[in-house]
Amino acid sequence: MSEQATAIMTRKPRGRLLALCSALILASASGTALAKTVKVQSTDLLKFEPAKVVIHVGDTVVWHNASVLVHTVTDVPKLAAKAADVALPKGAKPFNSGNLQPKADFRHRFTAPGTYRYFCIPHEAAGMLGEVVVEPK
Amino acid sequence: MKQGSSRVSRAVVSLLAGLGLAAAFASSSASAEGNSQMQMQMMHKLVEMAPYRGYLEAHDKEQHPLGLLGGPISVSITQKTGGVFVSLPDKRRLDPNVFGTPKMPRAFAGTPGIDGVPPMARGVEDGHYTEFEKLSPFGDKYMVMADGKLSIQALDATATDAATTQDRVKMMASWKDKAGNVYEVRCCKMLAAHGVEYPTFGGVVTNQILHGSSRIGTSLMPTEYTYFAFWGMGQVLKNGKVVAAPRLIHGMLTEYVRTNGYKLAFDNQVTPTRLQFHLMVPPFMPDMAHGGFKQDPLPTGFDLPNGMQLPFWHVMFENLDIHSHRA
Repeated sequence: MSEQATAIMTRKPRGRLLALCSALILASASGTALAKTVKVQSTDLLKFEPAKVVIHVGDTVVWHNASVLVHTVTDVPKLAAKAADVALPKGAKPFNSGNLQPKADFRHRFTAPGTYRYFCIPHEAAGMLGEVVVEPK
Repeated sequence: MKQGSSRVSRAVVSLLAGLGLAAAFASSSASAEGNSQMQMQMMHKLVEMAPYRGYLEAHDKEQHPLGLLGGPISVSITQKTGGVFVSLPDKRRLDPNVFGTPKMPRAFAGTPGIDGVPPMARGVEDGHYTEFEKLSPFGDKYMVMADGKLSIQALDATATDAATTQDRVKMMASWKDKAGNVYEVRCCKMLAAHGVEYPTFGGVVTNQILHGSSRIGTSLMPTEYTYFAFWGMGQVLKNGKVVAAPRLIHGMLTEYVRTNGYKLAFDNQVTPTRLQFHLMVPPFMPDMAHGGFKQDPLPTGFDLPNGMQLPFWHVMFENLDIHSHRA
């Protein structure tokens, strides 16, 4: 909770505090209901499965490393061996999981619409590439 | 030279028998012992023509080799977590950049599989080479194994091949199969101060092109820039027990030579800005007495789905931490 919200809660009488809390809970619940979480697996066959997912702004993708190998989930243009393997929509920030150990997860929430092309740093050359298409809400 | 020639000849016969090439060549002409003899003579000539024999002759007895220009380089490579890629026997597709065409063949001299590939062992289709017709450790087939660990501390001090070397390597590598068996390779009690058919630069080399068209090491691997490599004698273990020693061990840190689906690259498909470490325990042993190599399958203790034992280790480590400096 923000410092501003805390200040309001300290100052205001109990009835108004309850109303404020209810509003926050509703807003949060309504956001959760709309936002989806999509799963993608990194595999021993050097694939992201599925290789392409289509989501909406505000949705989250969780990558699970189902492989015995270390993989990454990387959408940083300067780290790509080939420019064609990476894409970020205008206004989107680059992201990089770092080394993702076997069984580990990495999640990223997408806030800008467009097409994201990402890769696994050690296996980019072996064709381990993925795509997230983020559609407006 | 005559003595050397007959030594090579004996090595060729032993090697071809091991590879199954002699039988293949002989059966290509039902009639003929004469034809078979001719093939054997041709093979003998090809092995004798290995391109670095002159260089090795000039260097392999040198007792005081010079050091590396700029001084020794120390190298440290580790992989602490993650799996490994294990190559399985396969027929290598032949890269025209390295092997030329049937009308203009290249990379044909030397011991088959160790150095060149004889034209008689190459598949041909529509005027182009297709594949090396024998199974080798250099192909597209692979599997992954868990818990890959690698630790290397090395020094490249001696520049050239010689009778002695100041180079050093301490390497331990291990990985685990699905059944929980742990395979391990340790090296090097002794480094290859000089090569048998191609240079080894004192046993350790840094910043050098190897394989493919370089003709240093098998041409079945692509021409690849190699940041660090070594050749030496070491031990192979399974579940802590030595299964083979001493064995020829070769390791190298190179640019990335795999493509889509982990297929072994042709020269024009190599990715220069990614690195991988290759560990090789070949199904050959150096035959110093005869100046060549002899077939000697490695008893890895790992069974393939067809029931045969994998006769070599060719293992790639790709989750690396690399440090190097002038020592």
